[in-house]
Amino acid sequence: MSAVTDLLQQAVEGLGSGAVYASLALALVLIHRFTGIINFAQGELAMLSTYVAWQLMASGMPFWLALPVTLAVSFAGGMLVERIVIRPVRGAPELTVVIVTVGLFIFVNALAGLIWSFTVKDFPQPFPDGGLDLAGVRVDWSTLGILGVVAVVMGLLYLLFQHTSAGLVMRAVACNPASARLSGIRVGRVLMLGWALAATVGALSGVLVAPVLFLEPNMMGGVLIYAFAAATLGGFDSPVGAVVGGLFVGVAETLTGAYVHVVGEDLKVGVPFVIILAVLLVRPQGLFGRAAVERV
Amino acid sequence: MSEPVTDVTEQNFLEVRGLHAGYGQARVLQGLDFSVARGEVCAVLGPNGAGKTTTLRALCGMIRGRGSVTLNGRELLGRSPEQAARLGVAHVPEGRGTFNDLTVEENLRIGAHLRTGSGWRGRARRAVVAADLERIYGYFPRLRQRSRQAAGSLSGGEQQMLAIGRALMPRPALLLLDEPSLGLAPLVTRELFEIVRAVNEEERTTVVVVEQNAQLALDIAHRAHVLEAGRLVLSGPAARIREDGQVAEVYLGVSVRSRKAG
Repeated sequence: MSAVTDLLQQAVEGLGSGAVYASLALALVLIHRFTGIINFAQGELAMLSTYVAWQLMASGMPFWLALPVTLAVSFAGGMLVERIVIRPVRGAPELTVVIVTVGLFIFVNALAGLIWSFTVKDFPQPFPDGGLDLAGVRVDWSTLGILGVVAVVMGLLYLLFQHTSAGLVMRAVACNPASARLSGIRVGRVLMLGWALAATVGALSGVLVAPVLFLEPNMMGGVLIYAFAAATLGGFDSPVGAVVGGLFVGVAETLTGAYVHVVGEDLKVGVPFVIILAVLLVRPQGLFGRAAVERV
Repeated sequence: MSEPVTDVTEQNFLEVRGLHAGYGQARVLQGLDFSVARGEVCAVLGPNGAGKTTTLRALCGMIRGRGSVTLNGRELLGRSPEQAARLGVAHVPEGRGTFNDLTVEENLRIGAHLRTGSGWRGRARRAVVAADLERIYGYFPRLRQRSRQAAGSLSGGEQQMLAIGRALMPRPALLLLDEPSLGLAPLVTRELFEIVRAVNEEERTTVVVVEQNAQLALDIAHRAHVLEAGRLVLSGPAARIREDGQVAEVYLGVSVRSRKAG
């Protein structure tokens, strides 16, 4: 195998894991755009959704039926979380809200452990084995599948936000909630919808990553860190940035692990931290984000 | 709008009785009474801190108030801003409050949001919104030229036009304008006030305008109320208040006077 093919091979694998980071980052960005909240519990909610999918399949449902049911449950769950956990602290200082999402993180994690125990569970790979051979570079169907799912989600979100009146209303609320209320928009419902969408997109990331990582309550901990790096890199306000950031982080992680021998497999978890630190130092708003301008 | 719940005369289209409102411990309004007739332009004047903005905020549900405020016989107090908007109150806050990330036309479409509640669907709704857009572009031709531009890229005057245009999209029963002249060049402000006058004449929209620039507001108003320290100190036809030199001096500053001199 030539050096170039080897490099490309590593990059392709990086894209596969990057797509998973991208979908969780997308969920983080959705909520941040609507509410200004960084939801530390996003990964745990995704993990919970994955358990729902697992439970459905354990009771005999085929994967491709369990998936839409799981997404619907996650959608409803996202609405409930906004209404019950987040709404009461709306308008509270940022730190309060952060602590609430951290509390939600711990609660959901413990809840999953209580119901399903902390033993690792096998999660079926929805995509067929094997893959394509592109000039010596092997692309697994699962990698293609994950990339495809993320592309479809991006496309659907784009259509929703740019071409429907519900999307227009959501963008208006994200931009100026006070004026949205004065225009007769029920902002509470729109925020519920935002959390519901984020929970749904997050659920996808959980289901996509579970076959690789195996299902257990702490499964999403690492993914969340990578998603934070992706969202920071892309800009916490930009869905496109989240996806580009996710793919970049995935590739960077794989290449660093493979080629920088000081780092290697063991230390490559440090890559997202380096990325977060570098972005915050050089361009705090991220690649696609806008600098926050505060009127004083 | 929907039919009135109780009998109201045209004179008490908007009726404010014993309105108390404020922010936390700070009580700004201490029992305000006034009424606005249907189709009237009413100016609320007074020095800084008199409670003009607070009055508007209480009317549109942005802050809580005690007392009673009825629009066409329906109680407005105790409602959220979105509920007040559904009852026909369109509030253009100080500092404009446009959706800066959205284009001009998208801003106006948000204004048409309430049309969804009217039972129109699909093509019929699109036709209604298109007609409303035409109507607003008729008043504000400059917005038509900029329809694809982001609202954030507009000049201050254009943003104020957009904010008013958006408020007018659902054909509100009551238009509340908070300091529309704030930060705008005199020429732009004059143009804006002329458009408000035109809207009032053509659509019989009832308007309550809060202004520091008393002279401008009195030019388009039928009636004026002067506030001081949260209380109404003077009410009357705009023409009479404009002519009353003493009032001008005491409550409205020198602006009216210098106009007389000049």
